[in-house]
Amino acid sequence: MQPTSSMKEEFLQKWQMGLQIYRPLIDNTSVSERRKAIKLSADVAMASLRRGTTCWSRALIQKTATEDNFLVRQMLSGIKAETLINKKLPKVMCHRKIVRRSKKILRRRKSRSAIEEVAAKARKLVNKKTQGLRNVVPGGEFMSNDVLLIQETLDYIVSLQTQVNVMRSIVDAAEAGSER
Amino acid sequence: MSNRRSRQSSSALRISDDQMIDLVSKLCQLLPEIRERRRSDKVSASKVLHETCNYIRKLHREVDNLSDRLSQLLDAVDEDSHEASVIRSLLM
Repeated sequence: MQPTSSMKEEFLQKWQMGLQIYRPLIDNTSVSERRKAIKLSADVAMASLRRGTTCWSRALIQKTATEDNFLVRQMLSGIKAETLINKKLPKVMCHRKIVRRSKKILRRRKSRSAIEEVAAKARKLVNKKTQGLRNVVPGGEFMSNDVLLIQETLDYIVSLQTQVNVMRSIVDAAEAGSER
Repeated sequence: MSNRRSRQSSSALRISDDQMIDLVSKLCQLLPEIRERRRSDKVSASKVLHETCNYIRKLHREVDNLSDRLSQLLDAVDEDSHEASVIRSLLM
């Protein structure tokens, strides 16, 4: 799956809308404030493409709302903003201590062949890398189901590619326009 | 009883190999580095996951960089200049 042109168009529209909200402030703020505004509105625009259907987009909206509640409400008005912002994220579903303990018990009981050892090591490595993925995908810490995690990752990557694609075109065009 | 416990924990954490293979191949298609490397047909799952993490971080950095450049641009132009109106019409 690739970023489609309709995704890019919708992202651009929503991002522009977010920047419009900042318009009165943009002329009177510092560069770092402006930068934050640009990034936050880009993130909300990207997340709202999914209309609350994916875990990562809901987590990202909640995270952005903690940084700028007003912006998020404005940008999402009409797409059940209240429920998205206030929706409680689920508690971490996987009790690692209990799992570790039961795995230890299992290990003690079974004696393993060499092949089983190798497979176990490979699985351990995959679990470690999967944990790394949880750290970079918004809301990843709530996805104990690996299948869900990877599905969310796929969707998140396509959305990020859309975001980068559109932002790059705008910035390149703007830079070209100001080189005279 | 220990069987019950272990079954519960494994359904939460383990996924079937087939599902993993399918998802990992989809990830492969998205990652530019792995697509270009045609050396072998097999890429390990952990490698793909690792590359995925790196790719996502790279995209994050690029968004930050683009936000930087854009905020600099808005800063550098004079209020009434031609450049300012170009940027504003693109964005706002």
